[in-house]
Amino acid sequence: MNSSAKLLRYAGLFLALPFLSHAAPVLDVFPPDAHLYHKLDSQLFAVRVIQDNGIHLDVTNEAKLTVEDPSKASLDKNLLLPKTAGSTKLKVEWKGLTASIPVTVEKPDVEPPVSFRLDVMPVFMKAECNRCHGAARGQDGFKLSLWGFDPDTDYFRITREQPGRRVNLAVPEESLLLTKSDGEAAHTGGKRFEKNSPMYQTMLRWLKAGALEDPKDLAQLTGVDLMPGSLVMEGPGQSFRLNVRAKYSDGTTRDVTTTALFLSNNEGTAKVAPDGTLTTGLRGEAFVMARFGAFTVGTQVIVLPKDVKYQWPNTKENNEIDKLVNAKLKNLRMTPSPTCDDLTFLRRVFIDITGTLPPLDRVTAFGKDTDPEKRVKLIDELLKRPEFIDLWTLKWADLLQIRTINNVAYNKNIQMYHNWLRDEMQAGVPLNQLAAKLLTASGSNLENPAATFYSLEVDPIRVTEDAAQAMLGIRIQCAQCHNHPFDRWSMSDYRGLMAFFTQVGRKAGEDPREKIIYNSGGGEALHPVGNKPVPPKFPGGAEPDVKGKDRREVLAQWLADPQNPWFAKHMANLVWAHLTGVGIVNPVDDIRISNPPSNPQLLEYLAKRMVEVNFDIRKLAREICLSETYQRSTRANETNELDSRNYSKGTIRRMRAEVLLDAIADASGNSAKHTGLPQGIRAVEVADANKTNYFLTTFGRSTRINVCARDECNPTLSQALHLLTGTTVESNITGGNLVSKEIAAGKTPTDIMTELYLRVISRPPTEEESASLQALFSDKEQTKATLEDIQWALLNSKEFIFNH
Amino acid sequence: MDSKPSPHSTPFAKPSRREFLYAGLAGGLGLTMGDLLKLRAAEAKEDSPLIAKADSLIHIYLPGGCAAQETWDPKPLAPMEYRGPLSTVDTSIPGIKFSQYMKNTAKIADRLTVVRSMTHGEAAHERGTHNMFTGYRPSPALQYPSIGSVVSHELGSRNQLPPYVCVPNVANEFAGTGYLSTAFGPFALGSEPADAAFKVRDLSLPTTVSPERFERRRSILDTVDSHFRYLEQSDALRSMDSFYEAAYAMISSPSAREAFNLASEPAALKDSYGRNVAGQRLLMARRLVEAGVRTVSVTFGGWDHHTNIARAMETNAVPFDQAFAALITDLEQRGMLERTLVMVSSEFGRTPKINKDAGRDHWPRVFSVAFAGGGFKRGLIYGSSDATGAEPESNPLSVENMAATVFNQLGIRPNSYLNAPGGRPVMIVKDGQVMSDLIA
Repeated sequence: MNSSAKLLRYAGLFLALPFLSHAAPVLDVFPPDAHLYHKLDSQLFAVRVIQDNGIHLDVTNEAKLTVEDPSKASLDKNLLLPKTAGSTKLKVEWKGLTASIPVTVEKPDVEPPVSFRLDVMPVFMKAECNRCHGAARGQDGFKLSLWGFDPDTDYFRITREQPGRRVNLAVPEESLLLTKSDGEAAHTGGKRFEKNSPMYQTMLRWLKAGALEDPKDLAQLTGVDLMPGSLVMEGPGQSFRLNVRAKYSDGTTRDVTTTALFLSNNEGTAKVAPDGTLTTGLRGEAFVMARFGAFTVGTQVIVLPKDVKYQWPNTKENNEIDKLVNAKLKNLRMTPSPTCDDLTFLRRVFIDITGTLPPLDRVTAFGKDTDPEKRVKLIDELLKRPEFIDLWTLKWADLLQIRTINNVAYNKNIQMYHNWLRDEMQAGVPLNQLAAKLLTASGSNLENPAATFYSLEVDPIRVTEDAAQAMLGIRIQCAQCHNHPFDRWSMSDYRGLMAFFTQVGRKAGEDPREKIIYNSGGGEALHPVGNKPVPPKFPGGAEPDVKGKDRREVLAQWLADPQNPWFAKHMANLVWAHLTGVGIVNPVDDIRISNPPSNPQLLEYLAKRMVEVNFDIRKLAREICLSETYQRSTRANETNELDSRNYSKGTIRRMRAEVLLDAIADASGNSAKHTGLPQGIRAVEVADANKTNYFLTTFGRSTRINVCARDECNPTLSQALHLLTGTTVESNITGGNLVSKEIAAGKTPTDIMTELYLRVISRPPTEEESASLQALFSDKEQTKATLEDIQWALLNSKEFIFNH
Repeated sequence: MDSKPSPHSTPFAKPSRREFLYAGLAGGLGLTMGDLLKLRAAEAKEDSPLIAKADSLIHIYLPGGCAAQETWDPKPLAPMEYRGPLSTVDTSIPGIKFSQYMKNTAKIADRLTVVRSMTHGEAAHERGTHNMFTGYRPSPALQYPSIGSVVSHELGSRNQLPPYVCVPNVANEFAGTGYLSTAFGPFALGSEPADAAFKVRDLSLPTTVSPERFERRRSILDTVDSHFRYLEQSDALRSMDSFYEAAYAMISSPSAREAFNLASEPAALKDSYGRNVAGQRLLMARRLVEAGVRTVSVTFGGWDHHTNIARAMETNAVPFDQAFAALITDLEQRGMLERTLVMVSSEFGRTPKINKDAGRDHWPRVFSVAFAGGGFKRGLIYGSSDATGAEPESNPLSVENMAATVFNQLGIRPNSYLNAPGGRPVMIVKDGQVMSDLIA
């Protein structure tokens, strides 16, 4: 079963579960099928029941396991062992629930040779030998590769580096490799395993067989499955047997539950023993990982206190997004906040879609509008606005690091690049096509501004890392020097991706601002181990045929393919994070195994939709904005007070620097002016990150020196000081001169006050506010000053500064 | 699920240990019974408060990786390719030499603790910087807070001043709050003290706004905010609130504003520090701790000397030497040295051998850090590097032990816990030992 099919299966189980509706319990067996290939092969089973209250139980001990045809295989508790070749079934029964697991037995008489890579290397991982000996200088004179990324050299060091020392083929039991590990010889790292452990036995069998190197055509490890895909359990003190299965390039599988290394990102909630038994702790979420070979896979575990009294409320579900979000909330026993009111929605959707505040007349009209479809209509209207394009051009300009660089990128280059980007967005070019255009950009950057992609950065190492982070949301920097310790990336993956960028030619044009990008047809990425060229290879994928082709074309084709496993997910997550304030993977540009999505089913769904809508940001944004999830109030109830990742309530976030500055000008009736740019160009539209000012810098505008996929919105003391006493608020109040204009137009102070409220925080004053502020108007001499003080206070209010 | 410790209504207030425990319980996520019992035990054992030896910390950071060979730990007897291009000067400690440009510092060496055996394993700038600013090795799973932010969190503010100030700007991405609330983040001057027109922005009211009018504005703002505050809760809002409180305090306190007024320092003193970036930044630092800032983080120069180290040292070490010696002397003359801990550090040292470009490359295996005041010993050279400056020869000092000792002097127990997201208790310094050999 491939991983996506498997994910769907588990997702199905996970979601098909109507919580607390007293559905019938469900019985699952892991793994769902078994293949025993040879005499030493075996398979552990775990039996799960999902109770009618949604809680999962490990009933492996209580369930009755039988082999249908006992001549084929036998059972030792939950361990299946081969007897004769053929196929049969494992029958599982628990309290009337049954399951039938297909079993095949292939060559039960054959004892396979021990393989260094497939059998011995996993021991180094499990016994954590390569944790200390994997250090750059090794440990106490013995060096292994970090996390086993270099089996060839490990084999050499063990068998050849100091002949007769580490390996004693005459008396294998006396090999230092064993005596250090079992505590017989002094070892700084202490005893790693017992003599009777499978780890010891594997090593001994390999040594007895002559410590042989593997044959060249050895099957490769291609993937690992950790089962079950998710768990909802009670705690503390409940346990569950995890199951890990490895897959190889020859189509075979192997039970590696006892040889995989387990890790938990939150041991207080779920701890895993070396044998794969998970034990629950206090309420919370944990991500449990299994590491085997170069693969790390994870599973999400929710732990709830025993006997939580909880009733899921009837809540609105506008579309599939809500179903997926609520499925998780049900498991967490979290009640979502209600729908936000009309004016809050109006303000939120204006800021999120267009980066602007709702204009005065819209605020007045929207509350009164009785059309039940008014929210839908508003979303559709706003998505057609040019400001939507501006906002997404800004976000992509951050990703592409659009900025002037002395003697490298001139103002003209940057303007052209930025304009090109905006035009593409305007024309609705699908994001995958946009990315492909950038990756394959050739020719003069003055004729094809997209080619600036390759002139801002020339080092293939940086181009590789930046492209991976910007377009795939993955950080492969670690894998430059060693296999990524917390992810799937190996040094070969890194060089394989880099090899697509090593043949980018650059030459100067006649104009100093001109760079001509072309396919040089030469240049390789060398692997740091062995210094051999690594052929181009897609991250986690195949080695394509690049003979006679521009390698970038091949990469672009892969990236733009709707089947690409990374791109759609990353883009969907960017859109989601922009609209809801928190990525499903968070931070958004750090997709890795050990930084799991908070709701994998939701991310899968949004990625699928991204493909279905042909990578159109508008369409995906529309679906998200239409969801009840997006329209939830930010106000917490007692069940979701601590939630920040599961979308049970709206997220309160400061407006990003550019949007906030534009909003201050806009709410003051002032027109923006940036040094060196025409009047009226908004901060959001500024092309060059180096065209900045104190406000933008202080409020965290991206310098674009690095790939930046997130908005930096942390409050600081400097921001508070600047809003209170700095020039920005003051000069906008003066520049807009709103109060004077309205006084001159004959409006009453009360009307002007209401107007200021509507302009700045998109709501009228409350009765209390009105009453307390009215009192200030008694001094007729001071009307203008008083109203401007109110305007100042509104511009300094959290209700204004934050999107909520 | 974040459950960051919440800043309180008063500016930079510190949550009490009981509140912290409560937060952990309310967070309820991942704090196991065992952890809780351990915490309680730790709390019981540590009922006697730790007596602070220092009220404030000046952390002078030399970004890029300062070569110990050309500053604190010259190798005059090593072969030419190790010794490097500079000569040495005698210091006020008999038998101890510094490198040639450290001549002023050499004269006050008897006030310093110089550690010549600092060691860690991170040879990349950002990873080494992370170590020296947080006391932790970088982790992909957790963002650690900087020493300055932990001090803000533990000790809070004094005299209406921000507890943690960066001169002139936030030194790097690791000088921030990590998993702590952003309310404990640094305040950056945002302008260069050495500039003739130096002024910290936005500290005083615009001329058009009288204090009375500002008060009225503030009370209107309270009216608007109270509605929202009643409805909404979030860490970002609480942080912003606490920064507004701090800003009010600074704006309305002439003495707090005066702390940033470098112009009122006497010209002769400015001269003694050096009328340059190094001198004026360190003078600013002294002024700030004198007024009550807890941690001042100062950066100066660029010390990533891969090429022509002789020339680069002349540019960087000469002004640093003058400013640093002036700072120590000034603090001593004001009677502040005992209660002010000064630390000079860098992300790592540099390779034992001079490279083909007459520079040195990154080398974290052994390098030097220096301390003064704050209860550190006077005139101590602690630990040593080997003959070529390749490995620690005696008493290696780890990042954890360095951080633990600094916290200890400030009256913060390095083995107490902070509350990370998910209710996870994280030790301020993991397994750090307070180095009794370094302190008086």
